[in-house]
Amino acid sequence: MTMRIDEFPDADADEFGRRLGSELQAPVPLSDRVEQRVLASLRQPGPAGRTERRPRHRQILAGAALAAGVALVFGLGVLTGRRTAPGAPAEPALAASQPDVRVVEFALRIAADSAVTLVGDFNDWDPRATPLRPASDGLWTVTLPLRPGRYRYTFIVDGTRWRRDPAAPRALEDDFGTPTSVITVASR
Amino acid sequence: MALAASLLEVSASDAELVQRVRLGDLDAYGLLMTRYRLRFGRYAFHLLGNESDAEEALQDAFTRAYRSLARCREPERFAAWLFRILVNCCRTTGSRRGRENARRAPIEAAGAVGVAHPAERAMYREEIGRALAGLPAEQREAFLLKYVEELSYEEMVGLTGVGESALKMRVMRACARLRELLGDHAD
Repeated sequence: MTMRIDEFPDADADEFGRRLGSELQAPVPLSDRVEQRVLASLRQPGPAGRTERRPRHRQILAGAALAAGVALVFGLGVLTGRRTAPGAPAEPALAASQPDVRVVEFALRIAADSAVTLVGDFNDWDPRATPLRPASDGLWTVTLPLRPGRYRYTFIVDGTRWRRDPAAPRALEDDFGTPTSVITVASR
Repeated sequence: MALAASLLEVSASDAELVQRVRLGDLDAYGLLMTRYRLRFGRYAFHLLGNESDAEEALQDAFTRAYRSLARCREPERFAAWLFRILVNCCRTTGSRRGRENARRAPIEAAGAVGVAHPAERAMYREEIGRALAGLPAEQREAFLLKYVEELSYEEMVGLTGVGESALKMRVMRACARLRELLGDHAD
């Protein structure tokens, strides 16, 4: 059956979707052990109960990332200087004393009218958190301090267009149809 | 007094609770998690198809959100901010599980299931769950965002990074496939 997007939503399909959706709106009785686990983790000593997650996928060397044009790793620590109350949540503190912290440059060459921003696992996909700066010839860049790990990311061009990094591997999560790239920052 | 204090906590706005968390009150974060566990757990459960993966995604989202709370610029919109994190955590968990295990076995086309009797409702929901498992991940996501979370296409675009036309196509295909699987013939 050939379907045309301009025929949707037709009344039947829309009504069917709403009916099914209303059935699925019933609460799913997940237990409160989720909160208990999170609170237990956050109460552990360490920077705001930070839970380290081991990368599940093969790491690549930072040098390889550089060679591939994925990112430039300068290997400098960054001191954020944020002050928080004891026990309060904090962004992962990226201190110069932590040798694993790398500074990674993300770059995209594209014609953009107003702005290019970077969203990814490192900034909770917040489109306002990490704007890129325009350089020359349509090149937009930004640098971020990152700990070793695997990060999915993408660029948002002019607030609406999502663009995968053409120089980086495609993320496995592309199953969901969002153009997403992946970078793995290696330990030193 | 304890009851009054408890009622005050329950009625506190998201913004008030976020502020308390930022000042180091971890119990306030517990209240926020309790507030959104069932609502957002529902999305995770229907997308991922089982309780264990849903809890993992939810736990990951709550932990990430806590660690990033300093970046939550609009505490009064904490729920929307948290949901964005959860959607991405579900994608990660779903992709990983999709490669590690088979999901619930998709059902073949089934006969129409009556839902008039309340006793059949749970069974119908299970049928729907199995039918959802038969959809490609991106169609399942689009269907749930549209008809369960009741987001507008504009909101879905902002959340997923997928264009509106593509999202409409996904929803349309999801509806068509679900009708096949559930044996629902509205005409």
